[in-house]
This record gives sequence, structure tokens and C-alpha cells, in this order.
Amino acid sequence: MRKRWIGYAVWLLLTACLYFFENNTGTRAILLCALLFPLVPSLRMALFTADEPPREEKRTPRTARRFRLLEEEEPGDVRPYQPGDPVRRIHWKLSARRDELLVRGTEREQNPFEAEQTVTAEASGRRKTPRSLPVRLCAGILACSVGSLILIPEARNSAMALCNGIFRASEAVNAYAYDPFPVPEGQSVLLAAALLAAALTALIALMILLRSKKMAMGLTGALTLFQVYFGLPFPAWANLSVYGLLALWMIRGPGGEKSLRRFIAAILLVTLFTALLAPGTDAGTEAASETVRDRLNRLAQRIAGEVSEQPEGETETRHVHTRSLQTGNGEARTDREYRLVMLEEEQISIPRFVNWLRTAFLFLLMVAVTVLPFAPFLLLNARKRKAREARRAFASEQVNEAVCAIFRQILTWLRETGVDGGNLLYREWADTLPEDMPEGYAARFGECAMDFEEAVYSDHDLPEEKRQLALALLKETETARFRTADWRQRLRIRYWVCLCE
Amino acid sequence: MQTQLESVLREVEKVIVGKRAVIEKILMALLAEGHVLLEDVPGVGKTTLAVALSRAMDLRFQRVQFTPDVLPSDLTGFSMYDKRSGDFLYRSGALIRANLLLGDEINRAPSKTQSALLEAMEERQVTVDGETHPLENPFMVIATENNVGTAGTQSLPFAELDRFLVRLSLGYPDYEAQMTMLRDRRTENPLDSVACVMARDELIAMQRETRNVTVRDAILDYITRLSMASREHKAVQVGISPRGALFLSRMSAARACLEGRDYVTGGDVQAVLKDVCAHRVLLKENVREAGVEQVLDELVKTTDNPDRRHLFQGMKNA
Repeated sequence: MRKRWIGYAVWLLLTACLYFFENNTGTRAILLCALLFPLVPSLRMALFTADEPPREEKRTPRTARRFRLLEEEEPGDVRPYQPGDPVRRIHWKLSARRDELLVRGTEREQNPFEAEQTVTAEASGRRKTPRSLPVRLCAGILACSVGSLILIPEARNSAMALCNGIFRASEAVNAYAYDPFPVPEGQSVLLAAALLAAALTALIALMILLRSKKMAMGLTGALTLFQVYFGLPFPAWANLSVYGLLALWMIRGPGGEKSLRRFIAAILLVTLFTALLAPGTDAGTEAASETVRDRLNRLAQRIAGEVSEQPEGETETRHVHTRSLQTGNGEARTDREYRLVMLEEEQISIPRFVNWLRTAFLFLLMVAVTVLPFAPFLLLNARKRKAREARRAFASEQVNEAVCAIFRQILTWLRETGVDGGNLLYREWADTLPEDMPEGYAARFGECAMDFEEAVYSDHDLPEEKRQLALALLKETETARFRTADWRQRLRIRYWVCLCE
Repeated sequence: MQTQLESVLREVEKVIVGKRAVIEKILMALLAEGHVLLEDVPGVGKTTLAVALSRAMDLRFQRVQFTPDVLPSDLTGFSMYDKRSGDFLYRSGALIRANLLLGDEINRAPSKTQSALLEAMEERQVTVDGETHPLENPFMVIATENNVGTAGTQSLPFAELDRFLVRLSLGYPDYEAQMTMLRDRRTENPLDSVACVMARDELIAMQRETRNVTVRDAILDYITRLSMASREHKAVQVGISPRGALFLSRMSAARACLEGRDYVTGGDVQAVLKDVCAHRVLLKENVREAGVEQVLDELVKTTDNPDRRHLFQGMKNA
């Protein structure tokens, strides 16, 4: 849970940074972040958990037997015969053995324990397992090439030159205002290209070896980011096939259906946006996307009741600008002023609804910024009210109610200081208590839990002394938990005590 | 009342050493007016247990050893022409006038005999030639089944298993228990030392009391959620039936009663769940080996217990 919040926080920070530091491309950055937002948990998972697929030899004998049973005895899914089933489908052999008519189903039923197994494997995926040699080799290559790209000055220069090249290429299509990295003359890009290629190959090999889907997700994200940001001209068919392959890769294999569906949706969205809004994927796609953008804009204008200044069909698009830039005189390409003008025009050509989106997003951001600092107070207020109510219940005339309230308070103490028995009965919580509690506490807790059960489930009223017992236990819990709590918990406890008094 | 049950337990324990948990469960079944299916290997003391129980509580004991040629009329009785009076006279069978009926190796009986017994269990009366004869009160059947040497047997259908309140298993005694048993049995029959410590009427009163145990809606809700979860579990073909849920509540009440409480807690339900429900749950073919117990454990783990619910909902118990 906490990690997810870290993910969201990182996303927010990223958005803000991109927005404030790259003012001229702000719209696109926000768009990107909005797109990447649903991916944050997946990215987090990709970053923080090493997911190992369940290996054959790791199956316990029991599960192995289950699998064998499934494979040998039932070649397909069988179910009881129902009138109307074709006779051909009857599984005669099995029917004879089981003494009932069984019918072969059309598809293999998924073994219900299989999914479960994947889940457990994923849950325990963090433990360190010795990895196979090729995996370690690939990881080594990856680390070496990335490391040398960063550490060796020669490679760094080469990488910068490569970046410059890429930017220049994207400039040609996009008319970006861009200041190149300072690179010494005659620096070859070959070294960086080779290192990058090695890193990429190693990465892909690693992904294939680990059979990880999250890596494919990460790759898709990176590729999309790269394309959207630089607007590099991939031919449309190549683009589509690459994304299609990645999507196929992700669909492959069992488990994780929910996140998968979400992810496919995200990818579809990304592809759509790349095709429609991002510049420069391909001349054909570009022209199509321009048309669609234009139509959307017109529709938006019509809805808003504005009269379009441009007659239909005569669309002044960024694509046209790009073309003219490429075919125009050579000076225009290097003229920074001219490029800035082009940039402005590009921003104008961005459809209005994107601007609306942007406004809405900014509004949300503002709301978040204004509300977040006060959220703790709002939460604590609610807690304060609850605490007061609880205290009032302690003195209730009905002992049953009072005992319940006091016991609930004891449990709250325990839970807030890190003792949680989960779905155990409260009577059984006594066994999960930490060892540093005072002597005999577990027994007293057990007794109190039994009183609680009596208060809740029985018809009769408890005697008054049970309330006193429960209150004493509450006191004891408070002091004991306070003694062993760390500073954060102590702070929280102090705050509660303030609240309750 | 607890003292009486306690003394019954002590008497029976004289004979069956070290099996307190199982004896307790049989007592619970007796309190809940249900029937017991004992599934065990031969020679662990099933018959002795039943005899000791009937002696300690002054119950009339009958025993039927089932074989393929035991007929329904052997159980229910039959009418026979009396030459002198020129009338049909009813000759009672084993079921009539028995409080505790031990049906040994019920799976060796032909299915018609099985069903005759099971119907008597359900309705607590037998009808012969249109004449209805009520059975004794209390009436309990302890049926046994061997899971070895099943050749030539007719195992109970799943639907008929459902009529037993609990399925239990005695299991082998541990080292200490077996040593004690060997020592005790060398000279005398310990069954003779079992004293009658409880009258039949007292048992009937206790059964009535068990029926009056408080079961809050929170507990019924827990039982319902458990049974529904069992029906929706992915490894389960047939889940806990409504009758199973009913039996579960009755058995929980009996456990509460045995523990000296007049209210049922979530712990009672959890404690008897496996005994009451293990034979009612049928797993899917491909996972049958996985074990019902495992599935039931999982159910208990994943279903919110009533205590926890209570904490979330606050004081909402009607």
C-alpha cells in the first residue's frame, strides 16, 4: 500500500518537474504523465519485485501429483452428461470407470490450484533464488554496457553525439527548438550505438529467459515514451507490429488477469494517442491523425457553439509545416528563431480538448496541492470523534456494551502498534502477542476475549466487575505497548491520549 | 449439567484411553440429536466406545453387523401371520426400542437396507405394512465404515452421507494409551467398570437445553457465509448444503453446551466445521486428491470471522 503511494508521489513529482522545467513542451509532458499514470503500479512492480516463474522442480510432491492427475486421467475437461449432449462427446472410458456418463468439454478447464500457485509463487517471489548462468550472463552484459556508457568518458561523449543525432533527426520532422550537447568534433557514435545495442539485446534476452511480463510492459512504456517524445519516424506497419508483438508477449501465459486487462487497455490508449496526437510516426499516419484531430477540434467547436473560422477540408496542419520545413531552404532548418515560431504554431495546432484536459489536470493538481496539507487534520478529526464516542461507551450503563467498547479499544491499541492477528478469532490473538508483553498478559487477554464473546453472543448481562477487569487490561495494554513502541508509534499514541482526554 | 457430562466422559475414557476429543464430539452429536459416521480401520474400539457410552448413560444398545444379506425388515421389523389369533403380528426389528444403534460396516449392506436405516434416522419412525412405529427418544445411530478391504462393499452415496451429522475417525492410540490399554485389559474387561452416571431423562433434558442455546445472527451469518463460500470455491463441485449449514449450527450449539456456555461463539463453529462438513463437500475431479480438509481450512482462513465483523460493524447484534 505504502509503495503504491510512493509510486503516485513519484508520478506527481515527475509531472510537476516536466511541467515546470520544460515549459515549451509542457503539454506533451503532461499528456505523457497522464498516460503513464495507470502504469505506475505496474512499473513499481517491475522495479521492485523480481518475479520468478514457478519452476518445475519446485513443485511439492503433492502438487506434482495433482498435475499428473490432471494430465493423465483427464485429457480434457469432463462434466456430467446432460440431455442434448452429442453422443460422440461421451468419454466412454472414464464413464465406465466412474459409473456415470461423462462428457468431454470443448476446452480444457483451468486447474483451480494453478492460479493459486502462481499467486503464491509471486508472493514469495522476493526471496533470493540462485539464478541460472545465462540469466546472470545477460544481467552482467546489461550492467557492463550501461555502466560503461555512463562511466567511460569516451562512451559518454559518443552517447551524447548519438543523442544529438537523434534529436537532429527528430528535429527534422518536428521542428523542435533544441540546443545540442557539447561534443568534441569528429566523435563517432558507433561506440555508444554498439553498447546500447548490447544492452538492449541483453535486456530482451533477460526478459525472454525470466519469462517476465512486467519487463515487456516496461519496454512498451519506454518505447512509447521515446517515440512520443522524440517523434521519430517509424513506419506505421513497423510500429504496429512492434506494439502487437509486445502485447502478445504480455498476454502469454496464465495469471494476473486483472492487471493484464488494465495494461492492455493502457497500451491501446498509448497506441491511439501515439497515432493521433504524437507527431512524426509516419507520414501516412501523421496525415490521418491530423485529419482526426481536426475533426475532433471541429466537433468540439460545434459543441461549444463556436463558429469555425476555417472552411472544412482546408486544414492547416503541423504536418504541412513539417513538410515545408523539410523541403524549404536549408537556412530555415538551422534558424532558431524560425523554429520557435514553428513551435508556437505547433502548439496552436494542438486540439482544444487537449487544452481542456490540461486545464482540468492543472485544476486537479491545484486541488490536490490545496487539500493534501489539510488531509491529516480532517482524518484526525474523524478519529477524535470516534475516540470520544468510544470513551463515552466505556462508561455505558450496559456492561455488555462497555466491555465491547473497551475490548475494541484494546484491539485498536494492539493493531496500531503492529500486533495483528488477521482473521483469527480474538480469543486466539493471545497466541500471536509479542513476547515482550508483561507476564500473564496473554492469559488475561484471553479471559477478556472470552468476556467479549459473552457480551456479544449471549443473552445475559455481564457483572460490573468485568468492566473493571477490561479497563484494567486496557490500562495495562496502553502502558505495555507504549513501553515497547518505537518513536513513531509513541508519537501516535501520545496523540491519541491527547485526543481521548 | 457439565459435571454430568464430565463424568460420562470420564467413564467412557476408562475404556477408550486418550481419545477424549472424539468422545467429546460423539457426545456433542448426541446432544445435537444427530447421527455419527465413524470411519476407521478395524480394531480401534468403535464398538467398545458405543457400548461404554450406552452404559454410562443408561441407553438401550443395539448392534447390527451389516452384511450383504441383511434385509430392511431385519431393521424395521416385519408382520407375521399368527395362526392362533388369525391376525398379523408385528415383530419388531433392531431399530425399535434402541436408543443407541451401532451399525457396523454399513457399507457392506445392500443399498435398500442402507436406505431403510437412513430413513429411520431422518424421520425417527419406521413404517411397516402401513403401521407407523415411533422410535425411542433419544435415538442415535453410530455407523461405522472401514476404509480398508472395500471389495464387495457398497459405499454410501454422497446424498446419504449428508444425513450424518458428523463423520469422525478414532485413529490409533498413541504409545502411552496403548500401554495403558494392554495393562488394563489383561485381567478384566474394563467395560464392566463403566458405571451409569446419567439417566436417560437427563439426556433428553440436555438435548432440549441444547436446542435453546442462544445463536446470534452474527453466528448464523458466519455459517451462511462459510457455506456460500464453500459453494463458490473454485476447487469444489458440491459445497455445504443447507442441511449441512443447519447441522453446523446445531453441532456448534452442542459444543457450546458441552463447554458450559449458553451461547455460540465463532470458535464453536470453527471447531466443528471439519467434522460436520468434510463429508458434505465434494471436490472437483481434477483436485480431489488435494483434500477437503485443506479446502475447509482455506475457507476458515478467508472468511471473515464474526469477531472481526463485529469490530468493523460496532455494536450491531440483534
